[in-house]
Amino acid sequence: MRSGAFTVFRKELLEVSRDRRTLFFMIAMPLLLIPLLIQITTDFMIDAEEEAASATLDYAIFGGEALPELGPAFGQTPGFSAVELGSPDEIAAAVADDRIDLALVVVPPEQEGGQHVVELHYNNAPLSSKVEPRTQEVLDGLGRDLRRARLDALGVRDVSLQQGVAEPVVMVPRGTAPMREVLGERIGGMLPYMFIIFCFLGAMYPAIDLAAGEKERGTLETLLLVPIPRYQVVLGKFGVVFIAGVVAALLTLVGLGGWLAFRGSELGGDIGAVMSAIGPVDLVLIAAMLVPTAAIFASLLLAISIYAKSFKEAQSYIAPLNMLVVLPAFLSMLPGVELDWKTASIPIANISLAIKELIKGTMDYSMMVAILGSSTLLAAALLWAATWWFGRESVLFRQ
Amino acid sequence: MLDVIRLSKSFPLAKPRRSKRAPVPARDPREDGRTFHAVRDVSFAAPAGAIVGLLGPNGAGKTTLLRVLSTALRPSSGTASFDGTDIVKDPLAVRRTLGFLSGNTGLYGRLTPREMLTYFGRLHGVGDEALRARIDDLVELMGMRDFLDRRNDTLSAGMKQKVSIARTLVHDPSIVVFDEPTTGLDVAAAETILRLVERCRDQGKTVLLSTHHMHEVARVCDHVVIIHQGELRFTGTVAEMQQAGGSEALDLALLTIVGEVTDA
Repeated sequence: MRSGAFTVFRKELLEVSRDRRTLFFMIAMPLLLIPLLIQITTDFMIDAEEEAASATLDYAIFGGEALPELGPAFGQTPGFSAVELGSPDEIAAAVADDRIDLALVVVPPEQEGGQHVVELHYNNAPLSSKVEPRTQEVLDGLGRDLRRARLDALGVRDVSLQQGVAEPVVMVPRGTAPMREVLGERIGGMLPYMFIIFCFLGAMYPAIDLAAGEKERGTLETLLLVPIPRYQVVLGKFGVVFIAGVVAALLTLVGLGGWLAFRGSELGGDIGAVMSAIGPVDLVLIAAMLVPTAAIFASLLLAISIYAKSFKEAQSYIAPLNMLVVLPAFLSMLPGVELDWKTASIPIANISLAIKELIKGTMDYSMMVAILGSSTLLAAALLWAATWWFGRESVLFRQ
Repeated sequence: MLDVIRLSKSFPLAKPRRSKRAPVPARDPREDGRTFHAVRDVSFAAPAGAIVGLLGPNGAGKTTLLRVLSTALRPSSGTASFDGTDIVKDPLAVRRTLGFLSGNTGLYGRLTPREMLTYFGRLHGVGDEALRARIDDLVELMGMRDFLDRRNDTLSAGMKQKVSIARTLVHDPSIVVFDEPTTGLDVAAAETILRLVERCRDQGKTVLLSTHHMHEVARVCDHVVIIHQGELRFTGTVAEMQQAGGSEALDLALLTIVGEVTDA
């Protein structure tokens, strides 16, 4: 005889597959919209960087007579244009009004041959501002020329000797971590965050539709009168919500992976190298981590949704849950938060951090087994709770 | 055959409605502290091949009683049996033989009538061959051929009502419960329902019909059960109801029996 749970599952899957809203969150958003949004954001960032790097910077100099070489150094550098300004008191207003991009104020040395201090006044709020590095580059060149001239005057003419006098000790960092680990640490936190969020979003609408939607449409009572145990009804519905979450998470993986494979080089060649270093075993393990995640979300969302009397009420209950998902998932993006036995005990956060470790290629597999096991147990407990919840008259016939 | 034996159903109240400071309003006699007795000690019988009308004002407890009889809710005490099968001891067996139609029953909008009938037929354990034949019979009976494969959310109210009826009967139940099935329907759709109710009786099924429309009672009911404030107030034939209520008009007889008629 056909299982009641399978009959419910098949029907719910058919119905969900005809729901545009679910298909959008489950398929279109992770597969198309996310890569598109990332592409637009990246294009925007690259354009902003290029514009900041090539735009002509208007500058004014005060106290230039104390350092006569300063004016010519900027005057001969392409991309800088001198502007006359009345007095240093106008600097802040002139920067705010975009009349100038920067002002340089020379503080003369206390004694002849001493160090000149050049104050840089500019708008340091924009993250994409290139004023400081571009000015630093000109000043570094000027500093080198002046140092060379002074050492020449002191009789130190050999270039390597000049370097030894100017900087007797130089540090050259040589990191031992592989590039995959370095970049994984920097961008690896973002990927599990996105997988988890889209897993949740993918499961959300089917869960609301399959539980609160039944109440709103007036079909729940009919379903409760079919001759199968209620746990089979829950299992059938759970199966569809769970699959929707898994599919959404995996399509996010595919969408992001596809984008990185084709366009990732725009962010720098190393990212492409990192992505290609993530082998099929790692991908399978990442997918495996998302399975209990989807099961946890499916159980929670179904339990909340069946309590609600309508689609709208379910959405209002699920909104705070969204924060409970976002915050632990976000932990993987915070610098200094590492996977250890303490963080491994925080649901969702442990999944997020474990995926980050897999991307970095530094996973402690005994910890991964523990996380997979505990997450699966948690998902099973939540499914049991959802089933118990689904059997309560006060939930099903809430007034 | 339906036997209802001293059936009661209570619900916990979220909070006591009495206040020590405010003047005490007229309390519903069904409230008892933090418990609400929706149905109390109700007993009656409904024979096979007869239509039993379940009557009572709004809030009398009719829907709760029908939900308990249909096993959607568990009774607090007492029980009922359908053809000897106890609703508490074997609710799944009861559901296999029960059809339930209410006026506010909805349909799955993204399924077609055929898919919906197949779904409920399978959930009731009807085999594929028998199910196909049963759906064919119902489609012919209800005149559903033209919209059998259209999505439910594109159907008119009358078409939807036909689908609901077919869903109720797809597993050929021996007991059919109708909870205000004609509420909100136009004359033609209501007539379809009443013919179905009569047809069920003619096929020897036990039929329980909850309704507010006394012309429906006069037309189709063989027996009447009157519930008021969760308690049984009357059980008998339509003629006995008229006699007990002292009026040929069933609505007046009903009001007299439940004690809400006023001498004008």
